[in-house]
Amino acid sequence: MLRTEPPAPAAPAPRLPATRRPLLLVAGVGVLVLCAALSLALGSRSIPLAAVVDALSGTAHGGDADVVVGLRVPRTVIGVTVGAALGAAGAVAQGVTRNPLASPTTLGINAGASFAVVAAIFALGLTHPLEFVWFAVAGAAGAALLAYGMARRSGDLDPVRLALGGTVLSAVLASWTSALMLASRRTLDEARFWLAGSISGRSLDALYQVLPLIAVGIVLALLVSPALNALALGDETAQALGVPVARIRVLGGLAVVLLAAGSVAVAGPVAFIGLAAPHLVRPLLGNDHRVLVPGCLIAGPVLLLTADVLGRLVVRPSEIEVGIVTAFLGAPLLAVLARKVTSR
Amino acid sequence: MTGLALSTGQVRIPLPDALRALFGFGADGDVLVVREFRAPRVLSALIAGAGLAVAGSLLQRLFRNPLASPDVIGVTGGASFGAVLLLATGAPQALTPLAALGGGLLAAALLGAFAWRSRMAVTRLVLVGLAVQAGLAAAVNLMIVRFPAELAGQALQWTTGSLYGRTWPEVWAAGGAIAVAVAAVFLLNRRVAVLDLGDDSAGGLGLDPHRNRLGLLLLAVVLASLAAALTGPVAFVALAVPHLTRLLAGPPTPATLALTALTGSLLLLAADHLVLHVLPVHGLPVGAVTATLGAPWLLVLMIRQGRLPQRSS
Repeated sequence: MLRTEPPAPAAPAPRLPATRRPLLLVAGVGVLVLCAALSLALGSRSIPLAAVVDALSGTAHGGDADVVVGLRVPRTVIGVTVGAALGAAGAVAQGVTRNPLASPTTLGINAGASFAVVAAIFALGLTHPLEFVWFAVAGAAGAALLAYGMARRSGDLDPVRLALGGTVLSAVLASWTSALMLASRRTLDEARFWLAGSISGRSLDALYQVLPLIAVGIVLALLVSPALNALALGDETAQALGVPVARIRVLGGLAVVLLAAGSVAVAGPVAFIGLAAPHLVRPLLGNDHRVLVPGCLIAGPVLLLTADVLGRLVVRPSEIEVGIVTAFLGAPLLAVLARKVTSR
Repeated sequence: MTGLALSTGQVRIPLPDALRALFGFGADGDVLVVREFRAPRVLSALIAGAGLAVAGSLLQRLFRNPLASPDVIGVTGGASFGAVLLLATGAPQALTPLAALGGGLLAAALLGAFAWRSRMAVTRLVLVGLAVQAGLAAAVNLMIVRFPAELAGQALQWTTGSLYGRTWPEVWAAGGAIAVAVAAVFLLNRRVAVLDLGDDSAGGLGLDPHRNRLGLLLLAVVLASLAAALTGPVAFVALAVPHLTRLLAGPPTPATLALTALTGSLLLLAADHLVLHVLPVHGLPVGAVTATLGAPWLLVLMIRQGRLPQRSS
């Protein structure tokens, strides 16, 4: 029933000749640059790439150039950072929990950060995203601990159990969040746009404030990634290989929380990037976490920028918040993954 | 409990007076308060509570899994999507049951499309349910962001589950439909009992297990959606109540099914009473209370289930 078989041993990685990996990474960076260029050029007003280049180099002023420099550059920079943070968070979360369904969304981390921020808006009357940061961090950390504790209680980290536990946690936190928003009109107005998850109109100042968190998170993620390979073999085997399992779990968990909290604090809860990025990278680069984590640092922003640009194009001249676009796109993905995880 | 709900409030009306007012006798003020404000709300709680509990019980038996419930598989989420969509079009509120029904069926269809081939194995069903829930929640979220503040508040209240401001037309429309559906569940209880014996035995007794299970499943979805139409997707009532009754009264019979319905009614009424008169914070949606009370249940079930030897589904 709920107790499924242990997650399918990942299909043997398509063993790429080591020489092709750098090639793929370069290609990935190329795709990312393309996405960033599209993010600068497309929107309610499309701006030719040549004009974008002029604006960036400072040779053009006014009109389109102001839009590019003033609005789209911050938006794109935030998108790249948040996407990278979420992608890496997903890869590490899946490695640490040995669970292909783990991600900041499914572990309830986003819901925890959201609740903490809305509670702060409600109780302390915060209005500026700059002030949200530390509440988001605290909420994310609290939710991560709870979700992990719930799944851990009975021994193995069952994928379904972890996802269910995270979902229950999210449901409860979400209902508390709504209750707060219903209790105060001001909170509703402040919070509902933030809760949709968006990278538009966010200030670079907020990004600078969380950049240290995200930087430390990325460094930690890269540091633990070799040990995650050993962890994938099971706790006992990893221990026998001399990997300090408990310490790696703590450090990995810390990385996930820092990355998720930092990104939520800037952009609001953006769903499913953390879940999707590793699943996109694995078929291309294999299961080696030393490659997977950096790969997700590239795949995350590619996904996020693509979703953001889509959100700008589908309802032009208006736009849809990126958090809503990713939730729409991520839901079918989760359904497909569910088939995979339970297919045996 | 019902009497208590009718007589307490900002205007305290002694119970005998409240009951008399319910039938149109006594002071005009009392009659107005009891018949127009309190009675629809109380009746909504009773009907929706019963509907959710019976739907949960039916789903849990069909899947032979204590975790299957309309909240977990996304059906109530679908219902609130339908209702919020209706809110967006500004159509009359009396159509809410239809809209919620449509949303619930949509969720069920999506669920079926992704999980059918596995013969509805529960683990996959639950995961796909989460996915369906996430997608529909994104749609609701989009509407909440786009709505003017007034409508956004209404929509949010809806999706959290609330008994606030129920009116007679809604109660009649949804309540009548729920009553019919609950009656159907009672009439079909024997079939569920036969399915409980296992597919082979059911087939041997001349019951096509797949067709019947599908039909009963649809009935559960309809019931849960209608109940959600009345009060919003009040969390965890459908999940927790059947367990409570099983603990109190043992294996499912028509009598325990009736008890399940009654317990659901009581639970929702009690939660609403907490919201109205006991908790210090004013205007909490009742769904926040049931979620807070119900979530530990789900966790206990998960942990317990982990210890049980694996059963095949």
